[in-house]
Amino acid sequence: MELDNVTRPVGQAQPLSDEDRRFLRELVETNRIEHHGRLSYMDIMFDLEHRYGNSLPGPVLGEVARLVGTSPAQLNGFVTFYTMLSTAPRGKHVVRVCTSGPCHVSGAPAILSSLRQLLGVGIGETTPDGEFTLEGSSCLGICGVSPALMIDDDAYGNLTPEDLPRILDTKRAGGAQ
Amino acid sequence: MIRNQLLVCAGGACITSGEKSVKDVLVDELKKHGIEDEVQVIETGCMGACDLGPIVVVYPEGTFYQKVTVKNADLIVSEHLVKGRTVGELLYTEPTSEKKARTSGDIPFYTRQVKRVLRNCGAIDPLSIEEYIARDGYFALGKALEMTPDDIIQVLLDSGLRGRGGAGFPTGLKWKAAREANGSPKYVVCNGDEGDPGAFMDRSVLEGDPHSIIEAMAIAGHAIGAEKGYMYVRAEYPLAMERFEYAIGKAREYGFLGQSILGTGFNFDIEIRIGAGAFVCGEETALLRSIEGKRGTPSIKPPFPAQAGLWNKPTLINNVETYANIPQIITNGAEWFRSVGSTKSPGTKVFALAGNVQNTGLVEVPMGTTLRELIFDIGGGIPGGKKFKAAQTGGPSGGVITGDYLDMPIDFDTVKDIGTIMGSGGLIVLDEDSCMVDVAKFYLGFTVDESCGKCTPCREGTRQMYQMMERICDGKGRDGDIEKLSRLANVIEDTSLCGLGQSAPNPVLSTIRFYEDEYRAHIYEKKCPSHVCKHLLIYSIMPDKCVGCTACARQCPVDAITGEVKKTHMIDQSKCSKCGSCYEVCRFGAIRKE
Repeated sequence: MELDNVTRPVGQAQPLSDEDRRFLRELVETNRIEHHGRLSYMDIMFDLEHRYGNSLPGPVLGEVARLVGTSPAQLNGFVTFYTMLSTAPRGKHVVRVCTSGPCHVSGAPAILSSLRQLLGVGIGETTPDGEFTLEGSSCLGICGVSPALMIDDDAYGNLTPEDLPRILDTKRAGGAQ
Repeated sequence: MIRNQLLVCAGGACITSGEKSVKDVLVDELKKHGIEDEVQVIETGCMGACDLGPIVVVYPEGTFYQKVTVKNADLIVSEHLVKGRTVGELLYTEPTSEKKARTSGDIPFYTRQVKRVLRNCGAIDPLSIEEYIARDGYFALGKALEMTPDDIIQVLLDSGLRGRGGAGFPTGLKWKAAREANGSPKYVVCNGDEGDPGAFMDRSVLEGDPHSIIEAMAIAGHAIGAEKGYMYVRAEYPLAMERFEYAIGKAREYGFLGQSILGTGFNFDIEIRIGAGAFVCGEETALLRSIEGKRGTPSIKPPFPAQAGLWNKPTLINNVETYANIPQIITNGAEWFRSVGSTKSPGTKVFALAGNVQNTGLVEVPMGTTLRELIFDIGGGIPGGKKFKAAQTGGPSGGVITGDYLDMPIDFDTVKDIGTIMGSGGLIVLDEDSCMVDVAKFYLGFTVDESCGKCTPCREGTRQMYQMMERICDGKGRDGDIEKLSRLANVIEDTSLCGLGQSAPNPVLSTIRFYEDEYRAHIYEKKCPSHVCKHLLIYSIMPDKCVGCTACARQCPVDAITGEVKKTHMIDQSKCSKCGSCYEVCRFGAIRKE
């Protein structure tokens, strides 16, 4: 983002509440201090996703761009480059099914199609109740127990389609494994 | 008084197999028997044998219990610890000899390994800096701080250590370039963006032995004159991030990071930066841009990161496994390092065994070990009595090693000679049922997704190649496709800017080189010899075997199967969607797939 120090007015600004603005200002400032002046954009993005329902709404990004001194276009370019970040609204829990080679050969396609059925949504979509967003993921690094998936920060391995309802139920109830 | 220690593998894979609940049962049982003060339960990093998890090892005996569940974990306490009897049902049984292994020393998967990079993984509690120190941890940092930077770099040059991230560039030369570069401040970066599908050694080191990386980065800081280090780790590895962050805190507390380390006046600190699902960020210049908060697109080299890296300052960037070797080289010397491995590639290499192989997991062997030793002696061979076909190395940037090369010693140079790369050490074993055209298509699809889009040959060229591969697998291959693929592949290799693009055609080129006959079968005969490519399959019913049970007709989603009860059924080829469900459901083996 240091490419561009021009601060442009945020055109698409929708009214952010005063509390939002305060939160964003503090978030950026804390990040600046913690990282000794070299902002960690990714930490900011994950903190934002944590607060704004696993997604990065446009007006929020606009305000953050203003605060860090870059253009909304630059920040949008950054955000859309990384597949784990999302500008579209997502569910409470993001279900990431590993689609890498080892998982692919040991049954990931069956896991994915079961999840499609169980959740009633396709990849990149969110269930109508707002609980789950289904996504594919790059290698989760637990290939020894493939096929695997990760929901939020919890990983699950050696999956069979029969395991899935229980895992989803536990997550829905707010528990880990 | 502690009389026993229970080491519970808390690697990423064992956690998914229920390690936490097993540990809870062990702790509860110890209390129930009133021996919680005599037996210590320690959660360690990955022990490597991921398919045997959760693993519990009882010391001092070293008894190796595998596939422990919440239902039988209590036996380890009530039988082994209280009554002194080994729990036979939890021991590992060697599949061929059916002998029970008492300790890991009796299991071929372990006995043939040489653990250097992974020496602490599974042996110590990664959250305990004391345990790391007890295993000579931070000794190398102390020693390095008494050496001159030039002496440190000389040791690395003498050791012949080559970068474990894939390219195999001599590490000492990288350090020398960063040392000699003008500019201040300088930075030390660790590449923990292990994106290669199927490779997870970096994850295991970060989760199982985080202090070894901190120590190595601090040594690097002293050697090149940097006071700041960045650890770049993928968000797909939350546990690695958590444990590394914790380790940084402990290292600061003990004075191994921070101001005037060990009273020498040398300052160094490390910060974590996160990646978020972009494979190309494993490329060093892309990774540096990502740390700077930009899109992770690679840039032209030169200038190399050693001259102009992070924020245009001299930057040393090495991979996790490379760093993990450094403290031991400093402690034990270059000669010790060269005592295993091959002349041009000394030391060990960690491989991640996956795919159609009996024992999956992480194995560390001397460079120059043959594929046969890796797959058959350590990996236990191919399951289901099937034949070995090929091993895929280097992930989407690599190619295949065929059965003809099973006895070739594997190091950076030998694999290159046969058209693949070592890569970061992912080794996916393919059995006789694998279609090599399909495998190549799969890897190419990965690169199409992950191309950052900067260079046209990579962005558009890989897509064109992929469409051709799709056509071939769909039975629409045309005469001349193989030549077209090879020509386009060469253009992409020659004209892409970074390693991702340059190596993207490798899976296709390598499979054309060794399995051109399979490509030809797809294109000219419209057949998939391994019966994998769906559109090239024909399902039919063998009249002599069909008993007319109607199971297939009921299962068929497109009503392509007709026939009366107890009479031979038929598949209407014009309706058949080739889903294979009739093949799966038939109990009489009456469905033919060809």
